[in-house]
Amino acid sequence: MNDWLKWTAPAAAVMSVAAPAYAMQYMSVEEAQKAAFPGASFAEVQPGRVWKASNGGYFYYDHVVGKHLLIDYTVAIGPDGRVRRVEILNYRESYGGEVHDPNWLGQFVGKGSQNELRINSDIRNISGATLSSTHLTEGVKKVLTYHASHFR
Amino acid sequence: MPATSASFRRARALLGTFVEIDVADAQGADLESAVEAAFSAVAEVHRLMSFHDPDSDVSRLNSAASSCAVTVHPWTYTVLQAALEMAQSSDGDFDVGVAGIPQPAADSSSRTAAAIELLAGHQVRFRHAGLRIDLGGIAKGFAVDCAIDALRRCGVRSAMVNAGGDLATFGGGARIVHIRDPRSPGRLLCQVEVSNGALASSARRFDPFRSAETTETSVLDPSTRRPAERVLGATVRASTCMVADALTKIVMVGGERAAAQLARFQASAMLVAADGNILTTSDWQGDLQHAA
Repeated sequence: MNDWLKWTAPAAAVMSVAAPAYAMQYMSVEEAQKAAFPGASFAEVQPGRVWKASNGGYFYYDHVVGKHLLIDYTVAIGPDGRVRRVEILNYRESYGGEVHDPNWLGQFVGKGSQNELRINSDIRNISGATLSSTHLTEGVKKVLTYHASHFR
Repeated sequence: MPATSASFRRARALLGTFVEIDVADAQGADLESAVEAAFSAVAEVHRLMSFHDPDSDVSRLNSAASSCAVTVHPWTYTVLQAALEMAQSSDGDFDVGVAGIPQPAADSSSRTAAAIELLAGHQVRFRHAGLRIDLGGIAKGFAVDCAIDALRRCGVRSAMVNAGGDLATFGGGARIVHIRDPRSPGRLLCQVEVSNGALASSARRFDPFRSAETTETSVLDPSTRRPAERVLGATVRASTCMVADALTKIVMVGGERAAAQLARFQASAMLVAADGNILTTSDWQGDLQHAA
């Protein structure tokens, strides 16, 4: 049987370090477009936000922003009006107030996924309390509602 | 779209959280389609084992298994088998029952486990009318294992799958994983290395979209039906993510008495107790210095 070892310092005395701006970039808008509708061309319907694909589908770029979390995501909607694919382009978690700073907000937009992040790039994987993704699901529903009222 | 880069990372919202897949070094394989296959496996687990989706195996069991045997997908059957083994070996500290369980009796061990009958042909029957189960405490780990299997089958030689902190990795040497401080999840408590294995954590709930503060844990103590209070956060290392995921619940509920279950599954653990102490099993391998 395992014995438990008590960490010598009580937890209150253990220095945990702040992760002021944990961020991860996954895809660019262009990569997400190609993955959703391979071989299609895209005509901008609303600058930087909505594209119509040559196969009759639509492609949305949007973000959800909360107190300490910002997620850029895309929704590909097929010609039948159904969600074809949802991609998270980047994930930014911050506790220093940067989430609502327009410069920080826009720092990844339009960049390819090959670009190295300059902030906290040593933090690649995190485990701990499970994060809820409810807000992103709500964002996708919002996009679908918008789509139904504007392009259907 | 064939991938030209040697490695990349993708994320999707699945299982109620964010699932990340990081792949590298596929031998003649198309990394994009490998990642797609892995996300499909996770989505399939989500579809089968969601408590909220009325068409899931779990919902079908909850609505019908107390009156007749219900056939489930082999994956659901596998997870139920593992869940019952966990329940029995932990004397009921692991419990997939969320309603309809008889009140604590003198023989309190694994009441839910005794109420679930696993039959031949992937059929399942409940012995108690009104029994309701939720596989949320183990299915996420299973989904990670399924994603890892899919990546291996596609010829990927190195990958990590991380479903909201329940993660597994193979190939490509050790990967650094930072552990959130359960008392203040915007901070990092320590870092550990993981290679060819799995790591899972449980802690109080946390949503950086709404607040930097945590709310009480979603892990309920089966004996009190109240959120577990003994432990603020637990991280378990095991050979599979399903085992690691389930064991975090046993550590959250049982605290130090979980040592026997950890040993049984050759797992190691770190916990932050409610009194502020940090405890590790003697075989825990991790850098318990604060993250650099």
